[in-house]
Amino acid sequence: MHARWPTTFLLAVPSLAVLVGLGFVPLALMATWSFWSFDPDTYWIKPVWSLASYAALLEDGRATVFLRTAGLAALTTAVSTLLAVPAATVVGLLSGPRRAALLLALFTIPFFTSGLVRAFAWRLVLGRQGVVNDALISLGIVQAPVEWLLFSDFAVVLGMVAAYLPFAIIPIVLAFARIEQSVIRASQDLGAGFWTMFSTIVLPLVMPGIVAGFLFVFVVALGTSMETQLLGGAGASSISIMINDVLRVVNFPLAFAIATAVVALLIVLITIANRAFRLSRLFESIGI
Amino acid sequence: MSVDPTVTRHTSGGRLLFGTIAALCLAIMYAPVLYLLLASLNPDAQLGLAPPSRYSLKWYLALLTDRRLADALAESTLVGLATAAVATPIGLSAALAYRAMTRLRGLFLLVVLSAMLVPGAIAGLGLSAVLRVLGLTPSWFTVTIGHLLWTLPFAAIVSLIGLSAVKPSTIAAARDLGAGPVRAFLDITLPLIGANLVSSFIFAFLLSLSEHARAYYLVGRQNTLPLYMFGAMNSGASPTIYAFSGAVIVVSVVVVAVLFAGLARQRSEGRGVSSKAG
Repeated sequence: MHARWPTTFLLAVPSLAVLVGLGFVPLALMATWSFWSFDPDTYWIKPVWSLASYAALLEDGRATVFLRTAGLAALTTAVSTLLAVPAATVVGLLSGPRRAALLLALFTIPFFTSGLVRAFAWRLVLGRQGVVNDALISLGIVQAPVEWLLFSDFAVVLGMVAAYLPFAIIPIVLAFARIEQSVIRASQDLGAGFWTMFSTIVLPLVMPGIVAGFLFVFVVALGTSMETQLLGGAGASSISIMINDVLRVVNFPLAFAIATAVVALLIVLITIANRAFRLSRLFESIGI
Repeated sequence: MSVDPTVTRHTSGGRLLFGTIAALCLAIMYAPVLYLLLASLNPDAQLGLAPPSRYSLKWYLALLTDRRLADALAESTLVGLATAAVATPIGLSAALAYRAMTRLRGLFLLVVLSAMLVPGAIAGLGLSAVLRVLGLTPSWFTVTIGHLLWTLPFAAIVSLIGLSAVKPSTIAAARDLGAGPVRAFLDITLPLIGANLVSSFIFAFLLSLSEHARAYYLVGRQNTLPLYMFGAMNSGASPTIYAFSGAVIVVSVVVVAVLFAGLARQRSEGRGVSSKAG
């Protein structure tokens, strides 16, 4: 299809209009409004320029919430990546076409189901009378229910890992599609064992997929509030919960400043990763 | 994608470890939900598993009389259908634009996919602020606007995957035989990617149906389903919560599984058609 550029342009217009109008413009306006001031007369904002909201980012323990959210997101990302690399290798390298397709479907399906229900289900499993505690007690490993299983950082990270594994696995599977089979066969003909082949041939070749997955998981884990709200301990907060709390006292400029700070961090991360690993090329591997 | 098993026979240790980790991944993704499904069949008011002989759909039947649940489901269905009806054609047009592009393809794709990377709460907050300035009252319409942005990248990817099965030579042949670009699109491309468009619609609908963070900021007086569910989950455990959680999961897993099976078949058939024609 070699359409002339006006046709191409017309085809691109609707999606660009949606992404710019509903995506970029609100983010840019929020960034602008984060430098305005709260207006007590209208409970909204007024164009009086101020840096007060950015100063307030570091007050009232907000810096701690930022760091805690980023820390839990980083832990989630690390665990997800450690699990995703072997899992994606099973799909991309160690399975026949039928089993690979089935596994890929199994790893993708949860993404289209309610994240709320999946997080909530952990409550049944990890609670004081949940399956895990029942099993531990009946096996005699512990005498009383283990309290830190639920309503804890452990539960939040476990819930996030289970929820966001597809984001880590699928980019790596895409990266596997770009590996020439002959390269792997050659390494084995030359006598490389599994681990040599894996660490010297496979890992470097799928690295862009690993980085893309790493980034995806970190981004969603940084922005989510569901797992913290359903599985976190009393008083557990996250950046998204903090935005809600700030809005409850209608401090719009501060909410905008928090959002802008997060978006700025994400833009920096995504730009660095894209420069270093050419992430947009991943999609070429499935022939699109 | 697979390696000839004869050349990987020396890899059993690594294979076993990797296979175990893959199984562990599937277990943490599916086991809690399966447990929830079984627990939802327990007719007693207390939580936990019942012996299979006592399984009952009691709590599922109780859902049918839950007025607020029905209202939330109706609202979510309206939002989901409206979102999917708009996201599917726009996603297709973005995919066609990407295929036709010679320059700036990577940048265009990155822009389209970037909507996936903005945290839901932040996207919802920004939209709600702008809509407030524009004087738009929160309603199903404002939620739909937020969900359109969220689902568009996925709709575009599903259309792109469909278009990748359409060989340029097939289109070129139609053009050589005198078909205009529109005729070639309607007679060749559209039938080949029909199943992808159906999938795109259903994926967008399902993503909208379970979206919570954006809806929280954009919803009007009538809650959507995830907002209603979130409220119910946080206000004490009633057995009906397990039943509607179970119902939501079963319906969405079945729909997506059927779609995947259809897509896989269509993709292999699509290859067959285009290779014959090419």
